[in-house]
Order: sequence, then structure tokens, then C-alpha cells
Amino acid sequence: MSITQHQSEAGSATEPNGKPKSSFGTGRSELIVVAVLYAVAISLTIGTATMHVQGKSSPGPQFFPILVCIVLYLAATLLAIQILRRPNVPDNTIHPGHGQFSPDMLHDLGHLGKEEDAAYDAMPSPAQGKTWKTYSDWRTVGLLLGSVIAFVALLEPLGWIISAAALFWLVAYALGSRRRIFDIGVGLLFSAIIQLAFGAALGLSLPSGFIGAIL
Amino acid sequence: MEQLELLMGGFANALTPMNLLWVLIGALLGTAVGVVPGLGSAMAVALLLPITFSLEPTAAFIMFAGIYFGGLFGDSTSGILLNTPGHSSAIASTFEGHRMAKSGQAAKALATCAIGAFIGGLIATTLVVFFAPTLVKMATVFGPAEYFALAVFAFLAISAVVSESVIRGIAALGIGLALALVGIDGPSGTARFTLGMPQLFDGISVIVITVGLLALGEVFHVASRIHRDPAATRIHTKGRARLGLADFKKALPAWLRGTAFGVPFGLIPAGGAEVPTFLAYGTEKQLAKRRNDPEFGTSGSIRGLAAPEAAANATAGTAMGALLALGLPVSATAAIMLAAFQQYGMQPGPLLFERSGDLVWALLASLFVGLVILVMINIPFASVWAKLLSIPKHYLYAGITVFSMLGVYAVSSAILDLWLLIAIGLIGFLMRRYNIPLAPVLIAVILGPMAETELRRALAVSEGDLGILVDSPITVTLYLVLAAALALSAVQHLRHRTNRKA
Repeated sequence: MSITQHQSEAGSATEPNGKPKSSFGTGRSELIVVAVLYAVAISLTIGTATMHVQGKSSPGPQFFPILVCIVLYLAATLLAIQILRRPNVPDNTIHPGHGQFSPDMLHDLGHLGKEEDAAYDAMPSPAQGKTWKTYSDWRTVGLLLGSVIAFVALLEPLGWIISAAALFWLVAYALGSRRRIFDIGVGLLFSAIIQLAFGAALGLSLPSGFIGAIL
Repeated sequence: MEQLELLMGGFANALTPMNLLWVLIGALLGTAVGVVPGLGSAMAVALLLPITFSLEPTAAFIMFAGIYFGGLFGDSTSGILLNTPGHSSAIASTFEGHRMAKSGQAAKALATCAIGAFIGGLIATTLVVFFAPTLVKMATVFGPAEYFALAVFAFLAISAVVSESVIRGIAALGIGLALALVGIDGPSGTARFTLGMPQLFDGISVIVITVGLLALGEVFHVASRIHRDPAATRIHTKGRARLGLADFKKALPAWLRGTAFGVPFGLIPAGGAEVPTFLAYGTEKQLAKRRNDPEFGTSGSIRGLAAPEAAANATAGTAMGALLALGLPVSATAAIMLAAFQQYGMQPGPLLFERSGDLVWALLASLFVGLVILVMINIPFASVWAKLLSIPKHYLYAGITVFSMLGVYAVSSAILDLWLLIAIGLIGFLMRRYNIPLAPVLIAVILGPMAETELRRALAVSEGDLGILVDSPITVTLYLVLAAALALSAVQHLRHRTNRKA
């Protein structure tokens, strides 16, 4: 259809395996973005209303936040309406720029025709025959999220070298590395080199943790 | 020709052995992040900013100059060899580039890119050197209302005119503006949205936001698809990348045409190189049709690759001029460079040339040095750089995760920053998942405070009369051009929607 976007309209929405599916949630998971936008807007509203204003400048410090709130409420509401009217099926193509550019505009500017679309469609497409319940792989994302949270919580008690090596190992494991023993070495080497290069040479203070306390 | 003298002084500063080493490091890093899909020079600069904080500013900026252009030297490699453009600035060069690679001319295609990037960057940087003082003079007549108009122009051009969905673009803009509001309000001293936490009085660091959105957000996104997306097949290059004289002659006019498209777009906040690269590609396509070029669209035309490549780097070159002289970032990468200046306590704009003239001219000189080094490390070693594409993804992204943590922790050794990083990384993931553009967030975070200050200043002078915002020919012109662009893009969206229905 076009060079950077492949989305089907709700009516013809089919799952990758060709099985038509139509529950209310299909293609409407983007409502979570609406929720985030409303959350930001509401916390800005509360913060603006309860602000302890210093000084008497006019327009004061509440002026601009009010404008931003209006923008956020408007964008969130319009987005919600759009999602409810026309749900999106996730596009499965590699999408550099992530919506930053209107494919229609680029199409016109580049005088693109069928050849370019065909070339773009010739890109590897998701494996046929295998389907998943959700578009995103939540197991991998969850593993990754758990690793970064654990890293931040343990950075000060364990120190940089151990916690960064553990983070490296966990992320590599989550993303599909199967050389578990070897990766421990890679992670330790990586974190130790960073400690030496940036800690010793450039003077960054990285937490040394309990090892530093023993030494 | 005062500029030439100043530039020579800049070269004298930039050509010390130590500074040459920094340019080389920058060029190597820049090419590396350019070759690897999904990374980019904006992310590289953001990650390196806190780490290089102990360097003197000149050395740091000389390195950033290498990264800045380097990211555009390597960006087409993935598109040419894998047919999967890793950056949106490389989509236009993928069409003909991959065809050339398929017909056994991969090495030639890579060389065309490197020389195109060199020519585009060289011409644009030269123009910047000569016209920067003119831009500075123009900027000195700008008052608060003009600066506010410029910021509004940049906000709406990036979020509404060029983006895929206007609503999503504006939503991204709103998120960015909200993030920029946190902290002590300068003019009144009021603490805003700090939840009473003293660590937030200085606001959320731009580095935390950039690294979260661009680096950690990308890692989350890759994780969500890594076990599902298919691996691309790579075309292997053999031998050295070289261009024969005949090919060079054929490509030269295309390089120059591409540069001509790229140069003006460095001054317009249209998000960077995508618009000019497609314009350049479209022109080459029309020209090929007229002269019945059999290669175009079949075995790959060198011209169709040369023009977009030159356009991309020409845009980056003049974007540097707009950034230094006006303080206007036209793309996400330029916005991070602006943040880099602010980290070192400098504000790009007319005053920068007066206050830190030495640094500015050394930076401009190192852009030239960087281009020469980049072309030297890219043409002979193009096939070596392509090997970066075969680094296992799990190690690559594990390394990026660790580096993001390092970079953000280095900002102020605060654990709170790391929690913020994770939260913003998740927002970045959501935005990628739903194709919400990231560039408006970065532009809003960086220009938001400026827009607010100038708006309040203007309204304070006029005692609340909104008329002051459209009181000068400059502001009226800016708003009119913006309105015209918005109308044009609305018409385009509607026309394509009716076409799709038909």
C-alpha cells in the first residue's frame, strides 16, 4: 500500500494467520496511550491548581501549564475518538522513524509508484504459519523490564561491576543468547572495562558496593 | 572575508593531535551507530554527553562533530545490503541502492553513498561558514514575539505538518512540553510539579529523557519483536568500494542536485533529512523517465542513490548553521546538539558567536576535518563496516542497556534519574508500538522552556495584549507560512484518504 505504513481498516482486519477476529479490544489497545495522556494531563491540572505561586509576575508560572493541559486533553480526547471509530491493526513491517513522517507526503514528494511499494513489500515479512496471541512479545519485554528494575534497586548495594554484569547477562538472555556461561564472562569483562575506562580515566564515580566496603 | 580568517583560526584549534584523535573517535562512533539499525547520532551524543563531561568543551564538541556527520555516512548500509532501512533518512536511498546491490554492485553503491555524503556535507558546511554571520545579523532583530513564533513554527511543523498522524504528533508534543515544565520556574522561583522532591528542582534532565526515549525505548521495542520478526538476508560485499571515472561522471550531477535539495531544508524545522531525500529521489526518477534510463528501477541507477545521499548530509550541514546562529533545532539530532551546548552552559544563537567564538569556529573547522576523516574511513573499509550488521543483536542491545544506565547515572549519580529513565523508556516503547513520532517530544523538551519564557516576556511587555504576538512582519510571515503548510498537508491527507476509499 505505501512505503512506510501498512495498516488495514477495521472491516477487513484479519490476524496474520488469516483468521478474522472481532472483539471490541481488537485494534484498540492504543487506548492505553490515551490513558497515559489523560494521566499526564490530570496530574498537570492538579499540580497547577495546587501550585504555591511565588512573586506576582503576570503572566505567572501557571499560565503555560494551563496551555499544555489544554493541548493534552484535546489530543487525548481526539485520539480516543479516532481509535474507537477506526481501530488499528498493528503493522508488521519494519518502520524506521515510527510515524514521524506522513507516508502520503513522502509518496508525493518522491513520485513513488508501484515499483517502490513492491520493493518495500519484498522486505522480509513475519514468518508465515506461526501466530501469537499478542503483537508484542510480553514475556521478553517483562523479563527486560524486570532486569532493569532489579539493576536500579541493586546498584548501590552490589556496586557497579556486579550489577552491570548481571544486567548485561539478563538482557542478553532475554533477547535470545543461549551461551549462558560464556555470557557471564562477557558481562563481567564489559562492566569492568567501563569501570576502568570511565571510573579511573574520566573520573566518573560509580558505586563500588559491598566489595568497596570490604576493601 | 573575515570568516576565512576565523575559520583558519578554527582549523589551528582543531588540528592539534589530541583534537584530531577526538574527531577520529567521533567519526568511528558515528559511523558505527549509523550502520546499526535503530541507533543514530542523536542517541550516541545523548549517551556520551554525561560521560564526556570532564573533557573541555572544545574537545567534546569536536568529537560530537564527527558523530553528527558520521551517523549519516553509515545509515544507508543496512538499507543497501539488507533492504531494511535502519533509519528513516535512508529509506529513499534503499530503493535504488538495494537494486544495485542485488545486481552485484554493492561495493559501488556503498562508495556512492560515502562520496555523496561527503559532497553534500562539504558544500553545506562551506555555505554555513559564509552565511553564518548573515544569519546572526538576522537573528539580532528577533525579539520575544519572534522567538516565540519560531518555536511555535518548529513545534507544529514537526508534529503536525510532516507527521503520519496529526493527533499523534500533537500528543507527542504535549508529552514533551509537560516533561519540560517540571522544576523551578525561572522568572518567579515557583516550584512546579516537583512533588516536593528537591532532586526535581532542576527539572528532569534532557539526557534522561533522550536516553530513555531513544536508547531504552528502542531496546524495549526490539525485545517486543526479536523472537518474532524474521532475520533479513544480507548481500555480501566483496573487495574495496570504488567508483570508476565513468560512474563518477554519471553520479556527479545527481550529487549536486541532491545537495541543492538538502541545503534549504537545514533551515526549516521539518524534522531533518527525510523530506529532502524523497524530493531528491523523486527528481532523479522523473529525470530517468525522461531520458529513458533502463537502469532505474531494474538493476539500480547510481543517480537514484547518489542524490538522496547528498541531500541528507547537506541538510545536516545547514542544520548546524541554523542551530549555531539562530538557536533553532530543525531535527531530533540537532535538538540533542543544542542540549549539549546547554549542558556546557552555552546558549546557541547570535550571542554564541560573540561569547564563545573560538569554540564555534573550532567546531565548524572540525566539521570539515570530520568529513575528510569519514570519507577516508568509509570508502576503503565499507565492507568492514558492513560486518557490524552481523553483531549478535542480544549482545548489542545488552551493551546499549548497560550504557544507558551508565550515561544517566553519570549525570548526577542519582538513583532517582534511573527510575525516571525506566519510566520514560516505557513511554518510548509505547510510542514506537503505536507509531507516535518521537521527534516532537525532543523538540518540545528542548524548545519548550524557551517558548514559555519568550511568550511570558512578550505578554509582560504588552501587559497581556495578545496582539503583540502578531505585531511584526517577521511573526506575521512565520504564522502565514505555517498556516499554508498546515492547509497543504491537510489537503494531502484528505486526498489520499479519498483515493484509498475509491
